[in-house]
Amino acid sequence: MYKIVNKSVERIDVYEKVTGKAKYGADLNCGSQLYAKTVYSRYPHAKILKIDTKEAEGLEGVIMVITAKDVPGNNIMFGKFPVLAQNEVKYIGDGVAVVAAESKEIAEKAAKLVRVEYEELPGVFDLEEAKVENSKRVHSEIENNFIEHSHHLLRSGDVEKGFKEAEVILERTYRTQFVDQAYIEPEAVIVLPDPYKIGVEIHGSIQNPYTIRENVATVLGLKINQVRVIQSTIGGSFGGKDESVMLMAARCAVIALKTGRPVKMVLTREESFLESSKRHPFQANYKIGAKKDGSIVAVENKVYVQGGAYNNKASFANWRASIHAAGPYTIPHIKTDIYGLYTHTIYGGAYRGFSAPQMVFATESLIDELAEELKMSPQEIRLKNCLKPGDEMGTGQILLPGKIPAPLEKMIREICRKTDFESKRKKYIQEREGFNPLKKGIGLSCTFRGAGLGGEGIDTASATVTIDIDGSILIQSGLVEMGQGMRTAHAQIVAEVLGVSLDRITFGNTDTAVTMDSGATVASRGILAGGNAMLIAATELLQRLHQQASIMLNCNIENLISENEFIFNKSKPDKKLTFEEVVKECLKGQGLSLSAQGWYNPGPEKLSPETGRGKAYPTYSYGTAVAELRVDVQTGKINVEKITAAYEIGKAINPQIAKSQFYGGILQGVGYAIMEEMRTKDGYLKTKNFDDFLIPSSADMPEMEVTIYESDDPVGPFGAKSVGELGIELIAPALANALYNATGKRIRELPLNLERVLLGKTLKK
Amino acid sequence: MQDFNFIKPTNLEEVSSLLINYKDKARLIAGGTDLIIALREERLPSNLEIIIDISHLKELDYIREEGGYLRIGSGATHVEIAQNELIKRYAPLLSQAASLIGSPQIRNRGSIAGNIVTASPAADAVPALIVLDSRLVIRKGQEKREELLQKVFVGPYKVNLKSDELVEEIYFKKLPQKAKSDFSKLVRRNAVDKSRVNLAVVAQQNEDKKVIDIKISAGSITPLPQRFKEAEDLLLGEIPTANLIQKTGEKVAEEMMVKSGYRWSTEYKEPVVKSLMVRALNRVLEVE
Repeated sequence: MYKIVNKSVERIDVYEKVTGKAKYGADLNCGSQLYAKTVYSRYPHAKILKIDTKEAEGLEGVIMVITAKDVPGNNIMFGKFPVLAQNEVKYIGDGVAVVAAESKEIAEKAAKLVRVEYEELPGVFDLEEAKVENSKRVHSEIENNFIEHSHHLLRSGDVEKGFKEAEVILERTYRTQFVDQAYIEPEAVIVLPDPYKIGVEIHGSIQNPYTIRENVATVLGLKINQVRVIQSTIGGSFGGKDESVMLMAARCAVIALKTGRPVKMVLTREESFLESSKRHPFQANYKIGAKKDGSIVAVENKVYVQGGAYNNKASFANWRASIHAAGPYTIPHIKTDIYGLYTHTIYGGAYRGFSAPQMVFATESLIDELAEELKMSPQEIRLKNCLKPGDEMGTGQILLPGKIPAPLEKMIREICRKTDFESKRKKYIQEREGFNPLKKGIGLSCTFRGAGLGGEGIDTASATVTIDIDGSILIQSGLVEMGQGMRTAHAQIVAEVLGVSLDRITFGNTDTAVTMDSGATVASRGILAGGNAMLIAATELLQRLHQQASIMLNCNIENLISENEFIFNKSKPDKKLTFEEVVKECLKGQGLSLSAQGWYNPGPEKLSPETGRGKAYPTYSYGTAVAELRVDVQTGKINVEKITAAYEIGKAINPQIAKSQFYGGILQGVGYAIMEEMRTKDGYLKTKNFDDFLIPSSADMPEMEVTIYESDDPVGPFGAKSVGELGIELIAPALANALYNATGKRIRELPLNLERVLLGKTLKK
Repeated sequence: MQDFNFIKPTNLEEVSSLLINYKDKARLIAGGTDLIIALREERLPSNLEIIIDISHLKELDYIREEGGYLRIGSGATHVEIAQNELIKRYAPLLSQAASLIGSPQIRNRGSIAGNIVTASPAADAVPALIVLDSRLVIRKGQEKREELLQKVFVGPYKVNLKSDELVEEIYFKKLPQKAKSDFSKLVRRNAVDKSRVNLAVVAQQNEDKKVIDIKISAGSITPLPQRFKEAEDLLLGEIPTANLIQKTGEKVAEEMMVKSGYRWSTEYKEPVVKSLMVRALNRVLEVE
């Protein structure tokens, strides 16, 4: 059995974090640094007539004010985000100028002295307006408001035929809201002019160093290798520290090169809310057909995704959505279309789960509605239709043990048994009519989630592992640690392969000058892709060590075993070499390299452009949850009492960290379900800080019980696959279903706030 | 952030004379749970010169019994009020209200007078103090005047205290042994959230269950904190029935509509205020 993997060892970065020694982006300072502050747009959509920076420049301590015309290279970055808006502002978070000053206070003062003249223009503020043909356009260079490359489809079977066979057909629309990731640390960046060559070095709370490096290089008109990005310790990101940090890095880099001085920018919470990405709002229109016995024959959907003014994520998020839009069910006929749309509003990006929480809210509410229509229990209908071994998925992939597992049936049965789901559900229906306004409800949901990027992009990752003369081991991943525990899992993988203790291992923060471009740290790929890269690097080093040990022990290399800090011949286990001994001989005796780069490349996934079918993901993770709540039917107040959840993740590299990820995801899911909402009105952001953007407090935390299922899934290192995002997506539908169980009222729009629960409709402020 | 001097006087007299000298160029800080936010959001007047710290003054930090009255120093914090045995015994609803304010951090810092002078329509302590018929002792230099609490509120976030005055004390009559009281609130989130509705009730019935005293106040539903007299009048002198309690709940909702007009939230608040009022009345009244 494993010595280190699959054990709940202590995190390798925990000491620095809990003792306050780890430096976060805002903690970093350089001598002679400038403080930069962005001047934001005053209108959601307007023409910029004139920017007068004279007064700001005249303030003592102000070194420079830049506008779009000061950008030396390309002002437009990936997703059409301008470093600074040039002729037109397209949303309320657009930057029009940046001031750089000797102090933060002066920068703040100067930002208010930049005079901008606007001509206000009408805008497109929601999905309904954006969809209309010949409506106003957000980007004049395209024909309508549909985001380029954001239409993704799946065609399986023949839905027309399917609906003809159906004995029951339901049509429903579900809607979700903008929400912020609400990480504890607002974005921070410090950019240093490279002291040795033309270029910049960027430090900060950066989730995706490589995309930022590439974008800043084009902004500066430099080669990629003239920009170096080093991540600081990150205080939470959940997908969010990407576009906003890219904008900050680009703005600061322009000033750093112009002034030759380091430039620091730290966002306030208000600025972070204004400028950072949000979870995309969805409008999901569904049609589902089933036989009277509950078997689903067809699903057709058209899903519209609000992208905001600029967007570089809808094309990816929508592809993921297209694969998952019919749920974890075996359905012969599927027709899915997902579209992204531009609006003059805050924009959608990545947030834990990406497009899954929206899709799973829709599909898992829908399946409960179908069960109700057919007078079946939510458990029964899921058991009947869920993906089972031997089944063909909508993508055409076949589920087989040892290949792609299909554990849902067992998981659903067990969670329902454990929570006493059926008898509680019946009891609560009877209690609906009772006198007590506090009603109880129980709800079920289940999901499947493609592991890693799959067909969304090439899922390559790198790892560098170096053993030094004292036997210490430095690991550095091209993927970032942002609190999820990835680097501990990586260290466990390396220690397991090399047969050494974890004490030997330390980590380097991701540095684009050290590790190969590993893409973005997204899609729960930290272990699947990043861990595989570590496994490859460590295996390569083990080979080199064993090569040397086989000479030292005079035995065949195949007979060698590394375990508990020793390397020995398994048929002569008495004579053991210490790990250090072999390392020393390799480095000093023979002059061998003990640094290896692991490169994981699963190869491109090929999908049919006409049908969207093919090997979408190498494998899938699964989950199921039961939510129990109490709702006051006279006020609409929901108290979430308990969430019981189960997740199949192949193998848990660190069961405790995996569970912590699920607890965190569940609680974020509760917030998403019942209280969180970034409100916009006519393009203005109404939710400015945490007094209005409510996230759950400890007093709102339900009891949580999480079970991890393991399987023989072969794809990831030691059979591990995805963990990080799976926790969040089951919660909103489980709660909406529980609310229905308690009240008999179906709410199809998130969040399930006081007004919606009481009145069954949305009140607009 | 604007510049100002921060002064920490050693006694109340010093505070009073600073206020007289600086008038509207001075602001008091006790817990700072409202002032610091205003400072950060640059909502304080531009002529601000000094902020006077009164949080450490022992002269303002007391809760005592004097004859039939409870007297609370204006600097008493919410947590002190929530945990005080005299208040638990003689004004339990105030203890309840104070214990539900914000979060432990806010309750540890925030003062009772701060909750009053900020005059937020959602303040939790205010409706409880109003149904206790609280009076304020207001100081200017050596002079003192008294004012009924309700009378100091002139608008949302507006009180009619002069810039050289400060609240020194809040006092009210101890509730009679037979009186019952109740404070409840509705929030979107279970901590650190502004009340959507809060309700305070004091009631007393005689041996025949006739209501001989009833006071109702509420937060977050009217621009100014106040009593709901028409609703109270329905109950006063009557022996409550389930029907009468329903009617009283409706009356409170009706009075809310009259005073606040029709707002985006009215469709929600009207039935909710009624239901919560009925529940509160059922907790304090014995029904025929």
